[in-house]
Amino acid sequence: MLRVTKPGLQSTLQGAPRIGVRHFGVPASGPADTLSMALANRLVGNAPWDTCLEITFGGFAASIEADCSLAIAGAAFEVRAAGRPLPAHETLHVKAGCALSISPFKRGARAYLAVRSGFRALKAFGSTSTYLPAGLGGYRGRALQAGDALEAEGDPRSVQTLATPERLRLSFTGSFALRACASAEFELLDESSQHALFRNRFIAGRQATRMGVALTGPTLELHSDGMMKSAPVFPGTIQCPESGTPIVLLCDAQTTGGYPRIAHIARCDRHLLGQIRPGDSIKLLRRTPEDAARALIEKEAYFQDWLDVVPSESPPIL
Amino acid sequence: VCSELTLKRIADDVFEIDVDGPATAQAIAHRLREPGMAEDVVPGLRSVAVRLHPARVPNIETWLSAVSQRTEPLQTDSATVELVVHYGGEHGPDLSQVCEALDLSADAFIEMHIGAKHTVDMMGFTPGFAYLSGLEEGIQIPRLGTPRPRVAAGSLGISSGYTGLYALDGPGGWPLIGRTENVLFSPDQRDPFLLAPGRQVRFRAA
Repeated sequence: MLRVTKPGLQSTLQGAPRIGVRHFGVPASGPADTLSMALANRLVGNAPWDTCLEITFGGFAASIEADCSLAIAGAAFEVRAAGRPLPAHETLHVKAGCALSISPFKRGARAYLAVRSGFRALKAFGSTSTYLPAGLGGYRGRALQAGDALEAEGDPRSVQTLATPERLRLSFTGSFALRACASAEFELLDESSQHALFRNRFIAGRQATRMGVALTGPTLELHSDGMMKSAPVFPGTIQCPESGTPIVLLCDAQTTGGYPRIAHIARCDRHLLGQIRPGDSIKLLRRTPEDAARALIEKEAYFQDWLDVVPSESPPIL
Repeated sequence: VCSELTLKRIADDVFEIDVDGPATAQAIAHRLREPGMAEDVVPGLRSVAVRLHPARVPNIETWLSAVSQRTEPLQTDSATVELVVHYGGEHGPDLSQVCEALDLSADAFIEMHIGAKHTVDMMGFTPGFAYLSGLEEGIQIPRLGTPRPRVAAGSLGISSGYTGLYALDGPGGWPLIGRTENVLFSPDQRDPFLLAPGRQVRFRAA
C-alpha cells in the first residue's frame, strides 16, 4: 500500500501503549505524542489507538502503491503528493503511483501518518507499538528503512473528507511550559535547587529520544549517595542523577530506576514531551497533584467533542 | 504489619506506598493488580507505585490503604536457575574498580559472588532485567554518576547490595562486573522471561 523511499531519522509504527506489564520491565511505548496521533487517526475515521507511522524530525518520503486516505498531524511540516502541496489537518485522498513527501519539520519533533483502517503491524504484549531496544511490535520490531512496504489492516480508502476544527490544531513553538508536580525525592534537592527547578528555564539536551530528554542549564544540587533503592518510574518522571542534570522520561521509559525522582510532568501535558527538539526551551510550572488532575479533566473535556479522549475499551488518550 | 504505612501522591496519576522490603512490595502489588482498577502496579525494592487515571477511580487513597494493610505473603516460584558468567575484562569493565572499593582481590570477589545464594527480588528497568539480592550487607557500591549509553545484553552490574542482570543492549548506570551467556529475555517464547520474583540464582564462572 505504501513503500518507504526515505525513512528520515527514525520512523516506527506505534499503536496503543502497553498497559499493565511494567512489573515485567516492559515499558509503555506507543506514540510519544498521543494527542497528535489521535488527531491523525480521527481524520481517517479510525479509533484513537489504531496503528500509525511515527516520523521523527521529518524528511520522510514514500511511494503510494494503492489508492488510500491518509492524514498527518503533529509537528509543523509541508506535505506534497506528486509534487503538489496538500493541506495539513485534513483527510488526504491520494492515488496509487504518486510520491508522498514530508519536509523536515520546522517546529516540533514528531508527526503521525495515519491510513484509513490503520497499518498492519506485529503485536507483542497486547500492542502493536514498536519498542526498539527489545525489537517488539511494529514492523519486524525495528525502525523503517528504504524499501519497506507497509500494508493497511483493511480497506485504506475513506469516502469522508474531514478537517480538524481550528481550535483543536496543536502548534509547537520550540518553547514549552509544562505543568509538573514535585515527586517522591524532591526533598533531596537543596533549597535553592528546589526553587531553580520551577523558576529557571532548561534547554533540551542533544539526545532527545523516546526514552528521555536531558534538561540542561541550571545544575541542581542534591543530597544523594548514589545508593537509592530502585523505585518505579514512568513516562513523565523527572530523575536527577548525581551529576545534577535532570532527565525527563518519555514513552519508552524504563520501569524502575535508582536516581532520585524529583518531579513528574502532569499527565495533561505529557503528550507535549514527544514534540521537544534538542535545544528547545522548557519551563516547569509547579502544580499540586490535585490541580494537575483537574487540568487533565479540563483538557479531556476540551477535546472530547471531536475525539473520544476517554474510550471505554482502551487506554485514555491523555 | 504495616502499622505506619506511608502513602504518597508522587504525581497527579501516581501513588506510592512505602514498604519494608521487596517481598512485601510484591505481595501488595499482586493484590492491588487484581481488581483491574489501576493502569499499572509496579513494585520497587522499598515501595509500590500505582498509576491510574485520577478521575476514573473513586476513593483512591482509601482503597490503597485498605489493600496495603493486609499482610498475607505471596506464594512465589523459588526454582533455582544457574547462569554461566564471564567475570571481568571486556565483559566486566568495572570489576577492578569494584574490587578496589571493596579492598578485595578479583579472585576473592568472584569466589564471594559465586558462593552467594542470590534471589530475584524484582523484575524491572527494561524487559527481563532482574534485581538479585544475596550479596553481603557490606557490598555497597554506588551507581555511576552518569549512566553508560550502551551496556551489552547479559551484563551483570552491582550496586547497593544488588546484582542487576541486563537482559537487553541499552543504557545502564550500574558498575559492570561480568556477563552471562544465558538468554534472559526471549520475546517469541510463551514465557519470555527466564527469571521471576522469588526464583533463586546460582552463578558459575565460565
